[in-house]
Amino acid sequence: MELERIVVAPDWHWLVVFYFFLGGIAAGAYFMAALIELVGTEQDRKLAKVAYYFTFPLVVVCGVLLIVDLGRPERFWHMLLQPETGRPMLKFWSPMSVGSWTLMLFGSMAGISFVGVLAEDGHLGLGRFQTIAHALHRGPIGTTFELLAAGVGFFIAAYTGVLLTATSQPFWSDSPLLGALFLSSAASTGIAVILLSCRKTCASLERLEMADSWANGLELLLIAGFLISMGTLAVPFISSSYGLLLLIGVALIGLVVPLALRFAPQLLGKYTTPVAAVLVLVGGFVLRYSIVMAGQSNVIAAR
Amino acid sequence: MTETMGMFTDTSLCIGCKACEVACHQWNSLPANLAEQPYANNPGLTYPMTGNSYDNTGALSAENWRHVRFIEQSELPDRSDLRWLMMSDGCKHCANASCEQVCPTGAIVRTEFGSTYIQEQVCTGCRDCVAACPFGVIHISETADHRQGTARKCTFCYDRLQHGLQPACAQTCPTSAIRFGPINELRTYAHQRLAELQHAGELRAILYGADESILGGLHSFYLLLDSPATYGLPDNPKAAAQTVIPSSLFSIGGAIVMGLASLLAFRRRRMAQNAALAES
Repeated sequence: MELERIVVAPDWHWLVVFYFFLGGIAAGAYFMAALIELVGTEQDRKLAKVAYYFTFPLVVVCGVLLIVDLGRPERFWHMLLQPETGRPMLKFWSPMSVGSWTLMLFGSMAGISFVGVLAEDGHLGLGRFQTIAHALHRGPIGTTFELLAAGVGFFIAAYTGVLLTATSQPFWSDSPLLGALFLSSAASTGIAVILLSCRKTCASLERLEMADSWANGLELLLIAGFLISMGTLAVPFISSSYGLLLLIGVALIGLVVPLALRFAPQLLGKYTTPVAAVLVLVGGFVLRYSIVMAGQSNVIAAR
Repeated sequence: MTETMGMFTDTSLCIGCKACEVACHQWNSLPANLAEQPYANNPGLTYPMTGNSYDNTGALSAENWRHVRFIEQSELPDRSDLRWLMMSDGCKHCANASCEQVCPTGAIVRTEFGSTYIQEQVCTGCRDCVAACPFGVIHISETADHRQGTARKCTFCYDRLQHGLQPACAQTCPTSAIRFGPINELRTYAHQRLAELQHAGELRAILYGADESILGGLHSFYLLLDSPATYGLPDNPKAAAQTVIPSSLFSIGGAIVMGLASLLAFRRRRMAQNAALAES
């Protein structure tokens, strides 16, 4: 007798896939921006400022996606406060609980950075707060803020993978590498959006592309590690449509081709950067889709 | 704390009468959740039957908190050797309960009886517990009432336990295949029962979850007449929280690599700029 699937899928579908993808872009761009501010030059800052313009709106979208996905959206605040007592609700061993709090922190910090760049650039009449805004990236306050920003960004980039691992679903719970894999993808997709947003106006793009190539290389290694760490489950996974998506859509189109384009820029000339960035984004989305869906599919009957 | 209570389901005594399912529905006011077998001649209509077994419940669901599995075993083509295994399945109330570990709202709690309990009015319907349960027990309610969108499962009849009663399924079971009591006494009894059966020639009989090897011990544990897989039970389930630390460590490793990569990419520029400043 064929055994049925034992575990029940949580029905985390498109809203969750989009959250993982957009949240990854926001987190990756934010920690890259913080790192650029920490170690880069004044010219490099332009890249960080571009990131601050889009991370906050993206986090807001992410919050909406997550709330709408709940079975009881009006109770979303139960993730942060206990409804009976009003006391904080935090379980440091539950990825979703820690994730909810860190997402709040991330949203707040991204909001501060957003207002900061608006003030620096004198938008919305915020120009008179320029001196306060400068404190965000200068002196001890600036360094502290940037270190915290990098940490929060790294956390948001990776925790979604850890959250999938801390379940009993096939593929998700079979590898300890999903968090690191999502983190590397967040870095490269975040960088891709920065590159696309300011390829005409920013200096030091080649530096950012170098960091992106590192992220792509790391992601390729982690995909290989992910498949190896699944052991005997790797065969049914690779022979499923989700496995093919991961290999062709992510590893080949989203990673190998962009890397090849950057090492052979004569192929596409001035289109190299945008084409590579778009492919990286496609790969980042397909990565989230194939992994989120594979764990909930009936690729392997029994678990 | 009150004594830890347990449930012992001896599948060798189960006759598949499904009285436990009925008692569960009755006590917990759960609506019927019937199987839906398509009508061959009337497209769109369904029979309340699975059509392949005397089991017409099919599976655990948001309304079916107990489910008697009917497993037919036969090797010969004429099925003259048919053996019928029956198992009254439900929430195992694991000592290391993945659902309780991952629940971000604290809606899933451990009661004074050692059971796990979902507070429906706290649950946000995030479905992390559904993903985490290694047994596929928890489901999201789709009924159009105040419970819609929340996670639901067996409560171990928490309301009955608070009044010194036993769960409805155990109370109603006509063959005492479902026994309820202090867990240590039940474990002793289960080992005696296993020895009896093995002595009588049931050599494949095993206990499932009676000791701490499975998720720290199942508060609702089983005597099975065949391998766990035969009954649709995982051989060696993991607690969700135990994967968090290795997964987090690898993520931190990834963050360090990305941090160093950015440092390499941008640091050289800064050094060049500083050198230029120093010269001028």
